[in-house]
Amino acid sequence: MTNFKTTALAGVLASAALTPALAQDMVFTSWGGTTQDAQQKAWAEPLAESDGLNVLMDGPTDYGKLKAMVDSGNVSWDVVDVEMDFAIKAAEEGLLEPLDFDVIGRDDLDPRFTTDHAVGSFYYAFVIGYNKAVLGDNTPETWADLFDLEAFPGKRTFYKWSAPGVLEIALLADGVSAEDLYPLDLDRAFAKLDTIKDQIVWWGGGAQSQQLLASGEAPLGQFWNGRIFAVQQTGVDVGISWQDNLTTADALVVPKGAPNKDAAMKFLARASSPEGQAEMAALSGYAPTNLKSPELMDPEVAKTLPDAHEDTQIDLDVAWWAENRDMLADRWYAWQAE
Amino acid sequence: MTTATANPAADRSRMKGAALALPALLLLLGFFVAPVLSLLVQSVTEPSFGLQNYRELIATPTYATVFFNTFLVATLVTFFALVLGFPVAWALAVLPPRWAGVIFAVVLLSMWTNLLARTYAWMVLLQTTGVVNKSLMALGIIDTPLALINNLTGVTIGMVYIMLPFIILPMQATLRTIDPATLQAAALCGASRWQAFWRVLLPLALPGIASGGLIVFVMSLGYFVTPALLGGTSNMMLAELIAQLVQSLLRWGMGGAAAFVLLVITLALYAVQVRYLGAGRTAVGG
Repeated sequence: MTNFKTTALAGVLASAALTPALAQDMVFTSWGGTTQDAQQKAWAEPLAESDGLNVLMDGPTDYGKLKAMVDSGNVSWDVVDVEMDFAIKAAEEGLLEPLDFDVIGRDDLDPRFTTDHAVGSFYYAFVIGYNKAVLGDNTPETWADLFDLEAFPGKRTFYKWSAPGVLEIALLADGVSAEDLYPLDLDRAFAKLDTIKDQIVWWGGGAQSQQLLASGEAPLGQFWNGRIFAVQQTGVDVGISWQDNLTTADALVVPKGAPNKDAAMKFLARASSPEGQAEMAALSGYAPTNLKSPELMDPEVAKTLPDAHEDTQIDLDVAWWAENRDMLADRWYAWQAE
Repeated sequence: MTTATANPAADRSRMKGAALALPALLLLLGFFVAPVLSLLVQSVTEPSFGLQNYRELIATPTYATVFFNTFLVATLVTFFALVLGFPVAWALAVLPPRWAGVIFAVVLLSMWTNLLARTYAWMVLLQTTGVVNKSLMALGIIDTPLALINNLTGVTIGMVYIMLPFIILPMQATLRTIDPATLQAAALCGASRWQAFWRVLLPLALPGIASGGLIVFVMSLGYFVTPALLGGTSNMMLAELIAQLVQSLLRWGMGGAAAFVLLVITLALYAVQVRYLGAGRTAVGG
């Protein structure tokens, strides 16, 4: 009995000690759901074939866990999909490895979504989504419509967490022009949100937003464009308005002290390549962050993506958000809890 | 292996009993006590040494609201769980074993189903376009859907349902020890049904009610999933706040402080229980 245990224990220890030496594995963490499935297909599977790199999937992304890993020096994630404003803030706080742009091609990457510590994962837009079965011909076109309780009575849904998006929407709906958005006038934004606060259902994740929209529980609201795309694929009759769509990207980062840094850089090179981004876009409904990708894509697919709506697009200022992240979060959650 | 047969062995056997508990104690020490202590340390060292996190916790109105919400929900849940659970517990205690067995199975079955699945089921039932509202509207009882979700009502309904087994089991254990003859005796002495309930059954059942109520109250204080899914943002509870502080704001110090305050409150409640009711009666099914 004891012998068996000792042997087993020794075996476990030995394999634990050997694994890093083999080093053809790495761990990629993202948000799960349809988005991570697309990332696996577009990036991880081709890498396994071409380089024999075995990419293990983990998730969901958790900033608290990421910080705890880095602080304790016990990092088990090699590449993590995070929000852009977090990527900027985390780099400032020393939580991220600088990227190796000898391995990753930087020239073709959209400069809006590329920093020394992050490359764009996919680029998305907040759009107006609505359920046609519930609303009929009376469809919302602008952000102001989401605040019009007479034309559109009932529940509407918005993104729950403190992040770029809802405050900008409130200001745009209140008549602020896109050029004058930043720095955000928070008092004005919250005052505008107060006018519909009791009619707001908050969605905390993509799946929940889809459920609220498709069931008609909240027949209109603010959504990630890719999630509307996915609902449309299932045959539910939902519409989309790209008017003043708000864009930013998710970022791919490498936590400080990641155990398989070389593999991570290879992964990022594939993920940000023209082909990797084109495939990801086709699978997810989000736009590519590599400027060479659109020419590789089926034009029919390309025209449904956020980069086909640049004429009505507003860039979210993630740098401003990164700078004011804590202050904004305090105000946001205090207002929500009121 | 060796059985303690003779008297002198009693002490040794007790020692052995303590030794048997050692693995469990070590597990608790390593995986529970140590992390809690490290959280406590962080709450007074992050971002800098001192009590600033606790000061902020007390001084910020949002956090006060969250504490208030937490106690409000825990109180409501405990109250309704007691009111709904008592008849079930009584039925379990007095019904013939076969029927009691069926009820018991139903109570336990709900407990063994995944918590998240059960909470989502409530979402489907309670939402504006959900089964409850649609049925009531079809029957003509209401014209506009009731707001049953994303508010205090939703949290209370969902949590009462989840807590019921935890209140029924300790209560039925106590109720089972009450000899039904005492109620007959009360009736013979001229007590009405209400008097028999209030003056005989209830006082005798009090230990079970108290321990079941306390278990539910304490569990409710730290609840996360159900309030997060069925409640609105204005019903945020402490566990949700802690998750937010740690996961999205990376404020481990504040999160630690909030968690520690919750722990102290829980331990204080437990101390009250031990002081007035005795520790032995706390155990579920005891």
